[in-house]
Amino acid sequence: MIHLPKDETKLMVAVHGWSGIVLGLLLYAVVFTGMAAVFAEEIGAWSAGHVERQSAFERPLDGAIQALGARTPEKYHEGVDLFEIGDHNLGVFFHHHEVKPNGQLSSRGIYYQLDRDGKIVGEQTGNAEDVFGPRNDDALSSFLVDTHVRLHVPDPWGLLLTGILGLAMLVAAISGLLIHRHLLKDIFTLRRKASPVLAERDRHSVAGTWSLPFAFLLAFTGSFFSFYGTVGVPIVAMAAFGGDQEALSEAVFGNPAKPDPRPHAIGSLDRISADAIRRTGEIPTFMAIENFGRTDALVTTYHQPGPGDIEPVTLLYNGATAMFEHEKPSIGQRPSAGGSLVAIMGPLHFGNFAGLFSKAIWFGLGFATCYVTLTGLRLWLTRRQDDLRSLAWLDRTVVVVGFGLPLALLASAAAFLVAMPLGSAVYWTPAGFLLASAAIIAAGIALPARRLERLLQIAISLLLIALPLIRLMTGGPGWPRAIEAGQPIIIAVDIALLVAGGWMLWLGKTRTARPRQTRKISLQPAE
Amino acid sequence: MALLSQKARKWLRIGLAGPGAVIVAVVTMAGMALWLPAGAANIDNIVLPLVLFPLIWAALFFHACLDRRLGRVALVAIGLFALHAGLVTQKFIAQSAAKESRG
Repeated sequence: MIHLPKDETKLMVAVHGWSGIVLGLLLYAVVFTGMAAVFAEEIGAWSAGHVERQSAFERPLDGAIQALGARTPEKYHEGVDLFEIGDHNLGVFFHHHEVKPNGQLSSRGIYYQLDRDGKIVGEQTGNAEDVFGPRNDDALSSFLVDTHVRLHVPDPWGLLLTGILGLAMLVAAISGLLIHRHLLKDIFTLRRKASPVLAERDRHSVAGTWSLPFAFLLAFTGSFFSFYGTVGVPIVAMAAFGGDQEALSEAVFGNPAKPDPRPHAIGSLDRISADAIRRTGEIPTFMAIENFGRTDALVTTYHQPGPGDIEPVTLLYNGATAMFEHEKPSIGQRPSAGGSLVAIMGPLHFGNFAGLFSKAIWFGLGFATCYVTLTGLRLWLTRRQDDLRSLAWLDRTVVVVGFGLPLALLASAAAFLVAMPLGSAVYWTPAGFLLASAAIIAAGIALPARRLERLLQIAISLLLIALPLIRLMTGGPGWPRAIEAGQPIIIAVDIALLVAGGWMLWLGKTRTARPRQTRKISLQPAE
Repeated sequence: MALLSQKARKWLRIGLAGPGAVIVAVVTMAGMALWLPAGAANIDNIVLPLVLFPLIWAALFFHACLDRRLGRVALVAIGLFALHAGLVTQKFIAQSAAKESRG
């Protein structure tokens, strides 16, 4: 417990409150979509009805890549990225590195999308930022991730905005810790029979205290990712490499070797893939080829962390002979403190280091953080009950965003399920979100806050329950088919949605039975 | 600092916690790349400032909020700024001189 003097405690209470009030609703949007994006892969499989069992890296891919290499201009052989897309299909990006007129490092080349038989089903030429847009079968998960990462604001402003929100969360977490006068006691205090306001204060405090280390971790890693490319790399490159971002990238991520540009056919990628899976026990999440078709070609495979570890695994192969060279750190050539620290930032932020188990914990703690943000805003308003008339707009805005955002996201999921079979999900997923948002805002203007809250809660519950039915009605695989295909995640998401919908309906019914107390409550400074 | 009015002190503190903390954190991140040890993989001096940037900013922000001695807050911020800005400037001068001698 930290005992600050009275004036400093007062200042920290103000900092905690205002950091939430000024940026709290945007922060809520980022954390809420981040919470859902923890399961982006599973949501993608559920929404698009993925039933393929075998990874693209477990199927023969050598012939298809050789054929692509033969048809791709040699200038794009500098790098080839291989990764899974859709229902275990393969994305292949032949490219070269270039520096844009604004000094930003980029990759330009041809992006091929292959089906499970290795046939080209899509081909785009352009910069990485342009060709890796959402596809019809992943429009929903892409929409979620893009909302979380940049709130759909164009780069670099979107990343800067979410970076600033990360710093605001860092401030709220640290100041929240500093203003706790009875930290240990508050962790376990839930006065269920107290007035609704005090009970809400207790729930805010308990959820906030338990999720404090997590909020700190998320804020720290999140702001790192947002500022890394937008501010960090250009500035450090300016100081250490005279502004040459390519030199920085080469120093950190490159595989230094003596150049040998003599032509040489690429070694068997099937052999490399099988060997990498055998060594790590994990299917590659990504495979990168440097200098395709040259004697000095190198192949790097990237894997999820092994059991009991949080640092991803990276293996290096000789590209010409397909022979294993050595295991290397994800960042740098040798293990180092800085390299390990950067390598674990991803797993710590995404919570994917121990499969579904760690993802579920990250989801739960993300939910607690959303709850803390929302109840914090409401407590701030409660403490200013005398000014509630002038703050009525804020009360209403909290309801519109707090309950409207989940509803609009569910509406976008429904729009995706209907539009995907028609091939227009890229358009209708964000359109569904915008249409639902417009309707919710209009209802927010027309209805009193408490009635709007109840209405939105009911709508969320009904849509949660309806989504599995919409999925089935629009041709998604049923439970027997999902079991047969070894995709229990489809069933798990269906059950999670039905349970969440039922729980929200029950919660709404209980709340209606217990009328809200309007008597003025005096809250303590730590609130 | 006793020479300053209460209002001036308040605004000075806001300035140090707000734009001051951002500017000093950015300059510190740039300068750190020039004095941190490179480590076994020769990258620690490049990646550690990138990782530590949010924490440096938070430390400066809370120091500006919580230290009663405003003079000390200003001294730490100006000291960090001067040290790291000086290192970056020196590097630029050395680079320009090397370019001229090559050209």
